[in-house]
Amino acid sequence: MSDNAVSEEASMDGHPPNLASIPASDSTIWADACPLLHAACTGLRDGELIHGDNFNLFAAMSALEIMDPKMDSGIVRTYYSIDEAIENGAAPIPISPDSTIDVQCTIDIMDHLLACEAAWHKGHSLAQTVFSCIYLLRLDRTAPHALLHSYCRVTRATCKAVVSVVSDARTHEEEDLFTMIYGLPLNGDGDDKCLSMLNAVEETISRQLRACKAASSKRRLPEDLEPLQSNPNLEEGFCKALLCRLRFRKHFFHILACMKRPQGRGLESARKHIASCTTELESILKSADFLRSCFGESCEGDINDKTTASGREPIGFDAMLNSRLSAPMPPRAIKILSWKKAVEYFVKLLHDLDVICSHSLDDHLESLLRFVVQFQKSQPDLVARSHLQLLLVQDGKLYGRDPFFAVITKAAALPEASKNHDIQKNESILQLGMLVMNLLKILCTNAAWQRRKLGKLLQDWRVICVQVELAFRNAFGEVSSSSNDENVCMKIFQHILLWVEEQTYWIAFRFLILGFELELYSTSEYCMVYWYLYAVLIKLAEKTHLKMTVSYDTAKRKGKKKKDSPKDLARESRIPPAVLFLQCYICLAEGLTMMLAALRNEISVFQSPGPFNTEQEKFAQHFELLQRACIPDHVSYPSYKESTTHARFSTLAMYNYFKDAQRIVKEVKSSFSNDPDRLSELRKLEQVAEHNSVAQNLICRLGALDPSLKVSFEFSHHPFFPTVVVKRS
Amino acid sequence: MEAMPEEKAEFEEAEIKYVSYGGEHHLPLIMNLVDQELSEPYSIFTYRYFVYLWPQLSFLAFHKGKCVGTVVCKMGEHRNTFRGYIAMLVVIKPYRGRGIATELVTRSIRMMMESGCEEVTLEAEVTNKGALALYGRLGFIRAKRLFHYYLNGVDAFRLKLLFPPPRQELSPSLDT
Repeated sequence: MSDNAVSEEASMDGHPPNLASIPASDSTIWADACPLLHAACTGLRDGELIHGDNFNLFAAMSALEIMDPKMDSGIVRTYYSIDEAIENGAAPIPISPDSTIDVQCTIDIMDHLLACEAAWHKGHSLAQTVFSCIYLLRLDRTAPHALLHSYCRVTRATCKAVVSVVSDARTHEEEDLFTMIYGLPLNGDGDDKCLSMLNAVEETISRQLRACKAASSKRRLPEDLEPLQSNPNLEEGFCKALLCRLRFRKHFFHILACMKRPQGRGLESARKHIASCTTELESILKSADFLRSCFGESCEGDINDKTTASGREPIGFDAMLNSRLSAPMPPRAIKILSWKKAVEYFVKLLHDLDVICSHSLDDHLESLLRFVVQFQKSQPDLVARSHLQLLLVQDGKLYGRDPFFAVITKAAALPEASKNHDIQKNESILQLGMLVMNLLKILCTNAAWQRRKLGKLLQDWRVICVQVELAFRNAFGEVSSSSNDENVCMKIFQHILLWVEEQTYWIAFRFLILGFELELYSTSEYCMVYWYLYAVLIKLAEKTHLKMTVSYDTAKRKGKKKKDSPKDLARESRIPPAVLFLQCYICLAEGLTMMLAALRNEISVFQSPGPFNTEQEKFAQHFELLQRACIPDHVSYPSYKESTTHARFSTLAMYNYFKDAQRIVKEVKSSFSNDPDRLSELRKLEQVAEHNSVAQNLICRLGALDPSLKVSFEFSHHPFFPTVVVKRS
Repeated sequence: MEAMPEEKAEFEEAEIKYVSYGGEHHLPLIMNLVDQELSEPYSIFTYRYFVYLWPQLSFLAFHKGKCVGTVVCKMGEHRNTFRGYIAMLVVIKPYRGRGIATELVTRSIRMMMESGCEEVTLEAEVTNKGALALYGRLGFIRAKRLFHYYLNGVDAFRLKLLFPPPRQELSPSLDT
């Protein structure tokens, strides 16, 4: 790094250094290129560009980054190096000779650092956020200031731990700004001892707090302590403000350490630290009033935009300092989160981490998948999602504990002993295990990236289906064997195959409904989307039902042979609640498809022909990945047209799918009384069904008569089934 | 100071003249428009890259000699598809809402189609309702959502228009 050479030349008034003093070496000389450049300028006309084999217009365009001082020499900066900034007093130690101001400023630094940390978590680079702190860039020089030094050290160690978690998770493709740390001093000797340093400082301030409380109640003290700062009226307030900040850092560091422990062993301890951390955050928030008021200054601008509790600008930060250094840093300035928003972010992060830590390490894949889907509904950020992923998949096993073959056999409703069967060495079964592992990782990523990956997965799962089936046939051909072991083997294959098919349709279902969450579909495309969703749900319900029937049969056959009681027969013919739940979805999807088709066929304003393409191209684009994987088979644009082209208000009036949905919800509610999430969803589905049933009747009665009918689709009750709103203009 | 209410220019749509990129004399007009209206500053090489290599894909809109809008595009092979890309689209504020942007884009897309492109793509902020409506009407779908695509943290949609296979007739509305 040539930073030393530059700093030698740094002038005091902030002008760029004199580069002519860079010495030539043994194998280089300096040559004046000015005449050549002058000739080129004279020779070139406006709009002409010198280009060569390796330098064309694309290269010229890509070579320049406007406003990046590494390339754009016209960009002026206040300081050209960290040393220059320090020499100019940008980060004084101590911060002030007045101990009260020093404490105030230290707290401001702590607050601004928290805001920087939150901004980093939210997607900005470390270089522009946490490492805009000059004290952090040269941590060793803060050693005389124990408070600042220990706080900065813990912050640095925390950032390093968080980078490690997110890097290990490797699901941050679009969020890769997060882990760019090249050139930043993230590794410190002795950082592993940062907590003991922090504890020492915490202990000192606790004693000071006790001392000033004792003084105010006029009790005599055994100790003769030096106060934190010089104004006795403010001592208690400052001690409290500092203690909650120090303790927040301590507990947060502990949370990360606990959650890192393998196989979820530290989750319970983590929860305790999360609770303490949350309490400290509340205290931090409460300290704001004191900090704002203690010197009677009013701050300019809106306090809510400030990055500190006091509203003052912190000392010791330069956001653009790193832009000339080697640290990868986008050239544009960014806005650090406000202090209030930063605290809100950490409150949410702690809540999300608590949800993860409360997870029961359930090895039922189906309920685990539901847990992950439910968790994602609160839109957790990268740090929380990475922690979840690392909990679920460690060392190629679920929770670092259960081999994926065991997970699969359980999900496929096979008996416990199957998990030890040799079949797990089969090539396609091994690959299946990898696919399940990847699926879990992908479900922990952000929704936008997740949907793209799920789309690509469809092909892989379809292929594995075929491969497992092939392996099955190769092993057993058409002849049923009498060998007991081969019967077991056959059973395992059969169950697994059914489960893989079901899982494939589940992925297709997730892929389609994520499109609603991501707002990828416009209203004019809803008809085809609900139609396709209907087709996928039919298959999903079929495979789920089949899997449950087969597993029921298997279980029955394993039991002692006895006559089927009427109750058993009834249970066998009854549709399982999970399948009924899907049938509810199916009714809603069908109802919406038909309603949308009728509207499109009857009211011209619902048709939207574009000048360049037709609905067929849009169908091909939206469902390309599903079509390529043949999920489902025999589904195509012509079959979509066939299903919907005859829909009219008159045909719509003939059948009300929404009423079917209402009926199913009523029937199935009691089966989910122990499942609050699914019960809640059933209630939402009921509302959608009810509203849409009424809307359908209205449309059928008025649609043909009133061409000004306004029909809109609002996701006010359910995330992927809209409520139809009918208005007359 | 209070914000002045936006003044809308008064004009007949027929008064707008659409011109294909004609050379260096158009470059400063395009640059001024884009620099003024879009948030990203581009170097002159970026503009030259587009208008030199694909002059037939860039168009300007003039009203009484004043340049009021422009579209800048490119096309090329991308993973076995020949694809057009809309890089910049600007219409100055007083002239918005009158179909000028639609006309500019339409001309460019038509040229792409005639040049053998199979599809056209671009990115737009998820919050840019105007752009999303414009491209939606032209047949673009929202193919993907790109998380935090822009530095201010806003997501983007990748919009894509797929042309029908060449032998298919264009809809009558295209013929003017």
